[in-house]
Amino acid sequence: MTRYLAGRLLASLVTLWAVVTVVFFLLRVAPGGPFDGERRLTPEVEANLRAAYHLDEPLLDQYGRYLGMLLRGDLGPSFRSKDFTVGELIAGGLPVSLTIGGLALALAAGLGVAAGTGAALARDGPRDRWLTFAATAGLAFPPIVVAPLLVLIFAVVLGWLPAGGFTTPAHVVLPAVALALPYLAAFTRLARGSVVQTLALPHVRTAIAKGLPTRRVVVRHVLPTALIPVVSFLGPAAAALLAGSMVIEEVFSLPGLGRYFVQGALNRDYTLVMGTVVVYATAILAFNLAVDLLYTRLDPRIRLGRTRLGE
Amino acid sequence: MPLLLVVFFFLVCVGVGGGGGGVGGPPPPDARVLRIGNGGEPETLDPHRYNLRLEETILNDLFVGLTTFDAHGNIVPGAAERWSVSDDGLTWTFELRAEGKWSDGHPVTARDFVYAFRRLLDPRTAASLAHFMYPIANAAAVNAGEQPPEALGVRAPSERTVVVDLERPFPFFAERLIYPTGYPVPAHAIERLGDRWVKPGRMVSNGAFVLEDWQPHAHIDLRPNPHFHDIDSVALSGVRYLPTADSYAAFNRYRAGEIDAIGDFPSGEMDWVREHLADHLRLTPLVSIMYLVFNVTKPPFDDARVREALGIAIDRELLTGRVMQSDEVPSPSLVPPMVPGYTSAVTVVETRGQRLERARRLLAEAGYGSDNPLDVTLRYISGVESKRVQVAISAMWKDIGVVTTLHHTELKSHFADLRQGDFEVAQAGWFGENNPEHYLNLLVSDTGDVNYGRFASAAFDALMDRAHAQADLGRRLELLREAESVGLAEHPVTPLYAVTIRGLVNPRIGGWHANPRNVHGARYLYWK
Amino acid sequence: MKELLRDAVLGSAWTRASFVTLCAVVAFALLVPAASPWALDDVDWNAIDQAPTAAHWFGTDGAGRDLLTRTWSGGRVSLSIALLATAVSVLIGVPYGAVAGLLGGRVDQAMMRVVDALYALPFVLFVILLVVVFGRNPYLLFVALGAVSWLDLARIVRGQTLAVRQEAYIDAARALGAGRARIVLRHVLPNVSGPALVYATLTIPGVILAESFISFLGLGIQEPDASWGVLISDGARAMQTSWWQLVFPAGVLAVTLLSCNVLGDRLRDALDRRDTVVPRTTVAGDGAPSGS
Repeated sequence: MTRYLAGRLLASLVTLWAVVTVVFFLLRVAPGGPFDGERRLTPEVEANLRAAYHLDEPLLDQYGRYLGMLLRGDLGPSFRSKDFTVGELIAGGLPVSLTIGGLALALAAGLGVAAGTGAALARDGPRDRWLTFAATAGLAFPPIVVAPLLVLIFAVVLGWLPAGGFTTPAHVVLPAVALALPYLAAFTRLARGSVVQTLALPHVRTAIAKGLPTRRVVVRHVLPTALIPVVSFLGPAAAALLAGSMVIEEVFSLPGLGRYFVQGALNRDYTLVMGTVVVYATAILAFNLAVDLLYTRLDPRIRLGRTRLGE
Repeated sequence: MPLLLVVFFFLVCVGVGGGGGGVGGPPPPDARVLRIGNGGEPETLDPHRYNLRLEETILNDLFVGLTTFDAHGNIVPGAAERWSVSDDGLTWTFELRAEGKWSDGHPVTARDFVYAFRRLLDPRTAASLAHFMYPIANAAAVNAGEQPPEALGVRAPSERTVVVDLERPFPFFAERLIYPTGYPVPAHAIERLGDRWVKPGRMVSNGAFVLEDWQPHAHIDLRPNPHFHDIDSVALSGVRYLPTADSYAAFNRYRAGEIDAIGDFPSGEMDWVREHLADHLRLTPLVSIMYLVFNVTKPPFDDARVREALGIAIDRELLTGRVMQSDEVPSPSLVPPMVPGYTSAVTVVETRGQRLERARRLLAEAGYGSDNPLDVTLRYISGVESKRVQVAISAMWKDIGVVTTLHHTELKSHFADLRQGDFEVAQAGWFGENNPEHYLNLLVSDTGDVNYGRFASAAFDALMDRAHAQADLGRRLELLREAESVGLAEHPVTPLYAVTIRGLVNPRIGGWHANPRNVHGARYLYWK
Repeated sequence: MKELLRDAVLGSAWTRASFVTLCAVVAFALLVPAASPWALDDVDWNAIDQAPTAAHWFGTDGAGRDLLTRTWSGGRVSLSIALLATAVSVLIGVPYGAVAGLLGGRVDQAMMRVVDALYALPFVLFVILLVVVFGRNPYLLFVALGAVSWLDLARIVRGQTLAVRQEAYIDAARALGAGRARIVLRHVLPNVSGPALVYATLTIPGVILAESFISFLGLGIQEPDASWGVLISDGARAMQTSWWQLVFPAGVLAVTLLSCNVLGDRLRDALDRRDTVVPRTTVAGDGAPSGS
């Protein structure tokens, strides 16, 4: 167990290092500098700025300096937000993104498993058909369409919920729902398929044949097995949720990491982009590690210490 | 039924997911607070390091310079109660108010101004807009590190007198001083706190408001400064600036009642706004000029005939009337039409038909025709608005047989490329001061890289040089007018129109007067 | 394999309808821009921001351009990017999976560990950075999208290859002195191509979605060209006044995605019934997981 954990942890750290390295050098070949603005800078001023941020050093020295800073937990100063460090910015943005993303994932997985189980139990009946159709259709309406519509209906026309910002719990509802919808559809389909397969297993059939109540069969025999693929999808879903969360944070003016990343990338704020990538990658790798542990718990067939690739 | 279980599972998930966050914002502001959509996130609130218009808006509320503007945008006394200029136009003497105080109660003295100007031009400050103060004697040399900051032409002969010596006559200096680059900074606070002096809770300022809170990408809160010299006239109990980068999101939040004033909304919603929010709509022509710039170092744009053909094929009235639809002011002159005291000699007299005819002829003379069409790459800044304009322009060029490739990049990369001369034809814009020089300087050959097209005309430069040496305003304007005619005859740029700011302002807000600078100091605003 | 595909496509009314819809979408994308009296960059000065009329069936956009033409030429762009990105993902994923499957053992383990690690990475970050760094052009976009969508394919192909490798006839071929290349060409590839094709098809909606996200953030296709993502993002910013600018492109995108998903589900189900290789999930873009 310890060896397995250590191995996984090491692999995650190597992945993180690879991500940092690729992004660092990618950003340095980008055209344009972080100090271009709508008003001009004189060459002297630009030279002063470059020296202040160590941009005049050789690339490898800068890289070494950055890795050293990372090891000390320092993400450096932001090139563009001159009054804040990247660490301060991210400390503000991360809770926002975690709240919205976590809530969306929970919403999608929770309701998805519920709907999927419901559909599977009524397999090929009208309820199953409608749920399956709704889930398939749900995938066809991405957040770029749904989010502006939700704002228009619930914030502007009905005035029930705020249109943007992040100050009260009510501000969380629309973004989380808009972000969750496609994944809700995805989890529903996944759960339905998985439950249908599990229902066909001999021990479940036996349990049903014995006349046990449906609820008990589902809780005791179906879900423990059927949830395995659902759990294993949580990791990739969290990674994929990112793309949507950038759109969502833009539409709802949320002060989250996605906005820092997009704005940072557009403004060539090297240190801010690096910081968000590091935090994103760390969060997602950690989440995957947690999911993996959960997965090994759930599925007794998987022996710890061995890869689960032999499936 | 598995329903119970399902609900339980869902609650568990929500509990787990919701545990990650928990950012509790401050309670909703009270009714006398004004919430303004500011169009983006400031990069800094240090008046010497700022670079963006949206930072200027906030800084205007936090600080007051020697001069300032009133509710109508006119230049009025600020920290100085009066000033005088010597006959040769080179020495400006300012008398500070006796009651001027910093927000911590320290008096604002002439030494604060001397400290501030030296700090701005000290190369170690790396002030990105230091060149705003280059009219001051020795400023450029100090900023380049060739002379010590003490060599700067700013003196404090007494506690309340600031004397500024200029390099050359500059009749618009009082206007130049309303920008944050001319603001005083609290020497006593900066010496104690260093770069951290701008943090909320620590920042000391001398304007009508002080910085109370700054949550990046969420909001910036200001509250009235009890030591401000005119605090009795300040009606608002606070201002909250929101970094509304996306104009559609800002529009929605305005309509949902979450913001009281926004400076921009999507032009596609103009008809709806005119119908439903007519008393909220504020269309303000901004003193500014949008133009196309040609890179005269890149063939075929080194050929004035090609530049002229492309320029005259554009129908400005069609652009502003049909495409933009927000009352933009078409302008064949590089100087915005609302600049006072200046009448440009550059006008359009031909009909559209005649112009297209002549454009085709010019292109033919330059060697282009239907069998050999001119290929142009037109660069513009990303955004719905500028896209509409550039699409319309390329359609107009199609009429004279020109094939246009459109290429858009983000604002910052756009201007970076322009400054490096990496373009053929590009959209550009210039705004700021309400005087002709501010715009015509763009075409002077030694202006540097904001002369994006690298235009160089000895005749134009000579006329501009004579104007810059002239202390008499009337004669100065006459020389500028002559210079513009000479310069634009070579078509280095095609001026298009002055921008109109499409704002929405809650009708219950008083003191919001349209003005060409589009400045609305919060100290002048009140709830009706 | 042929029968499998035929049964899957024509098996039910839903899949038949989806198949016909997809064919219609492709046909419209090919034909409408060619047949339309308006080019995609023609401006109708008298009909700026106009609701649908007899002259402009889908209305016009804020610059006065015909939306019917733009919607379907946007379809050309979106579909081409999807197809080309998928081709890129096949070019990477199939050899990768085949090599892993053929070599087996430690190499296979190491290669699949890399795939596992990549699954967990937020690829959209890389696509956005690539687009920002190297400028916006459609070629880069599809290469970048393809380069991040090959993971599922690699998995499937590896599984198939492993299965085929264990078949008796491969041993027989080897015994007869057939070289490795010959075995791959004659025996492995034909068996792997069917499932690879199905999973490649399933990549398409994910890529269309990913492109639309990137376009929404303002990093996509350049004017005057359009993609569905560009049109929707413009339309979403004008939907209050000009509903048609959102409804038509979004409707066409939704119908296309829906048909792709219905068809993809059926193909996957058919495939899963045929053999036992159960893939994990797809994460391309906004990826839909497989209901295995």
